Amino acid sequence: MRVLDALNHIAEYDAPDLAYRWFCGSKMCGSCAIRMNGREVLACWEAAVPDMTIEPLRNLPVIRDLVVDRTPYERRVVAFEPWLERSAPYLGFPEPLLHKDIKNASKALDCISCMACYSACPVIRLGDLTDFAGPAPLVQLGQTALDPRNDPAKVRRALERSGIFNCVSCYKCEEVCPAGIPIVSQVIEPLKAKAAELLPAMATHPRVFRSIVASRGRIDPGALVLHIQGWRALTRIPRLFRMLFRGKINPLRTLVGTRTGAANAAKRVLSRNDAPT
Amino acid sequence: MELVQLESATCTGARELRAIDSIGFYTLNVRILALAEKQQLPLLTICNTCTLNVLDAHAAFVSDNALARDVNARLSVEGLSYSGRTRISHFLWMLYEDIGEDELRRRVVQPLAGLTVAAFYGCHITRPPSRYGFVDSRNNIALEKLAVILGCEPIDYSGRTECCGFHTAAHDERISLKLSGQHIASAKANGAKTMVTPCPLCHTILDGFQREIEKDSGVDLNMPILHLPQLVGLALGMTPEELGVDQHIIPFPPLPSIKTLPA
Ligand code: SF4
Ligand code: SF4
Ligand code: FES
Repeated sequence: MRVLDALNHIAEYDAPDLAYRWFCGSKMCGSCAIRMNGREVLACWEAAVPDMTIEPLRNLPVIRDLVVDRTPYERRVVAFEPWLERSAPYLGFPEPLLHKDIKNASKALDCISCMACYSACPVIRLGDLTDFAGPAPLVQLGQTALDPRNDPAKVRRALERSGIFNCVSCYKCEEVCPAGIPIVSQVIEPLKAKAAELLPAMATHPRVFRSIVASRGRIDPGALVLHIQGWRALTRIPRLFRMLFRGKINPLRTLVGTRTGAANAAKRVLSRNDAPT
Repeated sequence: MELVQLESATCTGARELRAIDSIGFYTLNVRILALAEKQQLPLLTICNTCTLNVLDAHAAFVSDNALARDVNARLSVEGLSYSGRTRISHFLWMLYEDIGEDELRRRVVQPLAGLTVAAFYGCHITRPPSRYGFVDSRNNIALEKLAVILGCEPIDYSGRTECCGFHTAAHDERISLKLSGQHIASAKANGAKTMVTPCPLCHTILDGFQREIEKDSGVDLNMPILHLPQLVGLALGMTPEELGVDQHIIPFPPLPSIKTLPA
């Protein structure tokens, strides 16, 4: 018996006014996602268990019972202009399109828009704290932004509004995705790479990180914070002193950390000119 | 068991390198695996994110021939090459797989009786599911089982397998302050006297940022956070000083059952 069968039974015999959504009954339409015992699942796919606490998805307004309002998600997606727009004329069939160039977009196309990931994302849960779009909208964006035929100017406009570098890489989204999409490694990370290419200012943090590893072989937290936060780093002085006092940071190493075996190796590996700077 | 430090091993690139320079990421990580393979040693890390990075690089290397050839060509400059044979382990797994529960139990000379501990797994030691095989990362109870072996009492709370927010903290701390604030508060509300984590990045936020977390939430937390090796070391009879426990921002209170260095 599936969770959906239990819901149907309840609606049939106990609570005829129970509000819940389903349509295909077979993991295709994405309308039946709920939380069961604290975890996002598709009601039509998850086996029912003797003790079940069933709740509506989180991070979206509840309309009634298990039915949530998907408007915040839809607004986000529409703002991304989720279609393909060629910047070069169509060359005719067959179009040269390599598997490796389209494989990430094609993974993103497996999305059934169920909102399980959106409900599981801890950064979305923090509300307006950041401008993070969240996993489901980013997967929708990936369907077109990771397609090499798309106009880079349009992709840039979308990424500018995505807040993508607020993703903490926790993989909570991947864990619940019923379509098995590698949301972080095959959608969010390739989108971050696009952002680093099209909007370098957005990707200061990873670029500074890379250059520190390239020169030292390791990360130096002092150098990292200083380069990324600039004058804002001054507000961290109390913590700096606490850490110095406890021997957690070593300013000496910040000065001399560039002459180790690890530093030489990293220089060799990361200084190749086929890698981004 | 003997530990051999790989002197020229580099940073694995955290989350940053893999996002913007994938070939650089694969090369650095496969290089670390190749260094271990050259010495015919398994690779041990003490960090969740490093573990996932080398696991991901290994998985990509063995499943993508073109990538493997490219990476090995890059490594050949320093006479290295990888053939995919290095076993990857994390300190927590090593305790179970190489030492074993019985042996560990035998070696506990200072059971940490009376210490209620909240296990904080972090993310990259249980997720993504494709690497670890959990249907739900919360099913992992390795740390709680370990706590019992060490004589302390694990508590249940909402933050166990949640995210500390480390990976956005260098450019914007607010996410990590909020997320970790919730986890520490939940551990405290459920009676934890300390938290333990197998990941030094989680430790940086939970301990290093805790004063800022308190300021942000307006709640006094004062929750000592131990690295996993420190909790184990205490129970095996090492002193807090030997283990560097005194280096934390939030002081770890002396436990009646734990001896300190003679003054
Ligand atoms: S990995 Fe990123 S998008 Fe996915 S749940 Fe975590 S913060 Fe949200
Ligand atoms: S990415 Fe997966 S979890 Fe998220 S909406 Fe699409 S199918 Fe659902
Ligand atoms: S009813 Fe369509 S996915 Fe569940």
